[in-house]
Amino acid sequence: MAGATTHEAAEVQQRSTGTYIYGLVPADVEVSEDVLGVGDPPGEVRLVRHGEIAALVSEVPLDGRLGTPDDLVAHERLLDATAAEVPVLPLRFGAVMTTPDGVVEELLAPHHDDFLAALNELEGRVEYVVKARYVERAVLGEILAENPEIARLREEIRTQPEELTRQERIDLGQLVEQAIAAKRQADTEALTEDLAALGVLTVERPPSHEHDAAQVAVLIETDREDELEEVVDEFAARSEGRITMRLLGPHAPYDFVATPGEETER
Amino acid sequence: MSESGVARGGASPSGLADVIDTILDKGLVIDAYVGVSLVGIELLTINARIVVASVDTYLRFAEAVNRLDLSESSGEGLPELMKDITSQGQVSGKGAEPAQGALEAAGEQPYDFDSDQEPQESARRRRHEEG
Repeated sequence: MAGATTHEAAEVQQRSTGTYIYGLVPADVEVSEDVLGVGDPPGEVRLVRHGEIAALVSEVPLDGRLGTPDDLVAHERLLDATAAEVPVLPLRFGAVMTTPDGVVEELLAPHHDDFLAALNELEGRVEYVVKARYVERAVLGEILAENPEIARLREEIRTQPEELTRQERIDLGQLVEQAIAAKRQADTEALTEDLAALGVLTVERPPSHEHDAAQVAVLIETDREDELEEVVDEFAARSEGRITMRLLGPHAPYDFVATPGEETER
Repeated sequence: MSESGVARGGASPSGLADVIDTILDKGLVIDAYVGVSLVGIELLTINARIVVASVDTYLRFAEAVNRLDLSESSGEGLPELMKDITSQGQVSGKGAEPAQGALEAAGEQPYDFDSDQEPQESARRRRHEEG
């Protein structure tokens, strides 16, 4: 590894680069040369192997900052493209270690068997995320029809000048927000139930937008995408006009890897 | 979105908002495994997109509900009206109708709806062309 030697020399001077880690894969994987990593200019992605596992890494300058849109997309693209081919344990964005040797000594070697077991478990499966979002007009129409208090408050506000109704409008908005939250819970449960009927693992994600109706991650066999699409299509057909749906993936199994001691945080 | 339902992410990268939802708070956490070789690199401040209801949220919803009666009051029969316009290729002697149709179409996409995704869309497209 000539690269590592050069790197160590640089490190003696002022440790100008670090080793960014994307994820963990089986050792028999290869990285195509044109894959670009995070950083500006983008680092060259390569593998650091130990035993039967390997880390996908690239060098990053330590004097810069990470987290540009390009960085974020590079991280996810690399892991998703990898996941489509082989099992991969994705790391959260922003993992940097001192050197490739450090990656072997502190990450790969001590946890080799655990990581290998997890990779074997993921073999042949990928993550998809189903995202459902309310059509605002439709869901607000439902809420007005179902909640006399909200309809009454709206009428009251409508007949008064805006500057006199700030508190009333806040109250109205809060009731609407609560009504949407209740609908979100019901729709998330319904979608999760439909997806779980495929006999797959599901994880409900918290909403990331005010209009989110549901976000559910699914871990499913690579060759069952059709079945998943069918379930999502059916749900979309049933919800037509009130919910729009997207099916994202295949992804690395971001929602299905657990860091020890982290599970209870949510 | 079109009537045919589900937008498919496929193999193309998802929008930046979707990326942020995924990689900033999911995946293995390096700190749990590694000690001395860990490097704390500075990350650009990125606000994870967590929905926290605020006064702004409430006012926005209130405004959206108020906007709603505008489209409701003129909403009766509009679907038919729009079909007529479409079938006539928008050539119509009744001048008021296309204008109403436009109003209705504007109502379908309130200006604040998804506005947070606009710059991300172009980011996605740019990435897409690269691949």
